[in-house]
Amino acid sequence: MVRPTTFFQWVEFLLQQYGSLFLRGTGITLLVAITGTVLGFLLGLLVAIVRTIPVSRKDPWYKRIPLKIAQFLLGMYIEVFRGTPMMVQAMIIYYGAMQYLDLRMPVLVAAVVIVSINTGAYMAEIIRGGIISVDKGQKEAAYAMGLTHWQSMTGVVLPQAVRNIMPSIGNEFVVNIKDSSVLNVISVGELFFMSKSAAGTYLRYFEVFFITGCIYLVLTISITRILRLVEKKMDGKNHYTIYGSQSDSKSSITVADKEEA
Amino acid sequence: MSERILEVRSLQKSFGAHEVLKNITFSVDAGEVICIIGSSGSGKSTLLRCINYLEEPTGGDILFHGKNVEKEWKRGEFLSKVGMVFQSFNLFANMSVMENCVIGQMRVLGRNRKDAEEKAVYYLEKVGMAPYRAARPGQLSGGQKQRVAIARALCMDPEVLLFDEPTSALDPEMVGEVLSVMKQLAEANLTMLIVTHEMSFARDVADRVIFMDQGVITEDAAPGELFTNPKQPRTREFLSRVISRQL
Ligand SMILES: Nc1ncnc2c1ncn2[C@@H]1O[C@H](COP(=O)(O)OP(=O)(O)OP(=O)(O)O)[C@@H](O)[C@H]1O
Ligand SMILES: [Mg+2]
Repeated sequence: MVRPTTFFQWVEFLLQQYGSLFLRGTGITLLVAITGTVLGFLLGLLVAIVRTIPVSRKDPWYKRIPLKIAQFLLGMYIEVFRGTPMMVQAMIIYYGAMQYLDLRMPVLVAAVVIVSINTGAYMAEIIRGGIISVDKGQKEAAYAMGLTHWQSMTGVVLPQAVRNIMPSIGNEFVVNIKDSSVLNVISVGELFFMSKSAAGTYLRYFEVFFITGCIYLVLTISITRILRLVEKKMDGKNHYTIYGSQSDSKSSITVADKEEA
Repeated sequence: MSERILEVRSLQKSFGAHEVLKNITFSVDAGEVICIIGSSGSGKSTLLRCINYLEEPTGGDILFHGKNVEKEWKRGEFLSKVGMVFQSFNLFANMSVMENCVIGQMRVLGRNRKDAEEKAVYYLEKVGMAPYRAARPGQLSGGQKQRVAIARALCMDPEVLLFDEPTSALDPEMVGEVLSVMKQLAEANLTMLIVTHEMSFARDVADRVIFMDQGVITEDAAPGELFTNPKQPRTREFLSRVISRQL
């Protein structure tokens, strides 16, 4: 085989040589980012719900005190995981589990666990902000018709909160695609790790990481676009059907959407 | 004599050191329409919110059908029988008009979807909003939103409906459509407790008018009497101020 000389020849050569490596790395990056973001979101949802349960002085102590303690501990969790780099968290969790709990996690499991816990801390605050931003009247109307706190949250407040924070959720997703690269410190075979090994053989760092950069960009742009579509879907149609007017045929009128207007 | 539905006894409410309601006592009979008037800050909203659990009273009792609301009624059951219509509508923004009317019926009253939707269409028709059942609140005008909010409350088959300034957030040309719906409800003998600044509505529709001043009920009389011959100087002063502005 002829040794490549120009930039494009190198790119083509490396793609042929390491195509499957790039693909596998991309797959693992996506896997870690997607499961990490989804689990982190669920974790954050739980944390945010517990942190926004109203505690009233009238509540009995056996309800008030455990709730206060739980809320304090969850606050600590958020502080710690937002206040330290994920790379450091990865080392501590992975090697800590190995040395002190005698637990040798498969690196992929460790990766998902770390990204989820880390994302959960950010999501908890994002979701709490979303909950607070929902107009107080929404919850009052729900209470006033007899819905319980839980029913009001799941039926009325959270759907609106989640809709409002969709852009921030997308942001976390993009961050996770990129930042899963720090997991190479515990040898997770994600895109950055694979690229490093590919680059090492021929010492073509520039060309390899040019390809790597392109892949990251495609991933993040695709995710952003997909989430935009999800947002559109959540907003529903910007027109609605008028029922039972002129004859039987359903007519539909279009109302300008606030954001699009 | 018709049945006594709601009884408020020595109700007291403070926010910290600020005593907003002082010893409020009155009662509501079945089918009665009572308008509550009074200047801003006199505690009208707080009174309604205390009846409806949205604020915790700091003293006194509320009885519903003679039973203590706090001790003898299940909260959800009581709340479903006492509806509330808000100044700012508070329609659930994430749901269609239909879903707004159905959620309480299904989750609180345990109705199935078919029955709930039937009832919703029935009341939406009454308020002239049935054609808009698929719309979202954000796509409606203020007057339309408030009519949906009234239908939503009616869907729960309430025994009493509380209104907190239902027309104050509306543009003038939409006030009429909401008041006429409320007038129809009064004619259908629904029991209503209405905080309002619409004096002509209170005069024409109410069976009784309650005047509140600084957390106290100072006057409680038939509209004919209260509007033509107010006993308290404060009532007289308030009425002359408000009515001269409205006419
Ligand atoms: N959550 C609260 N915390 C502290 N003070 C409050 C609270 N809610 C109401 N107040 C006070 O209670 C008083 C009565 O308020 P309320 O809203 O009941 O008056 P209102 O008669 O409904 O007035 P308006 O006609 O302006 O609606 C006001 O002085 C208000 O500042
Ligand atoms: Mg008020």
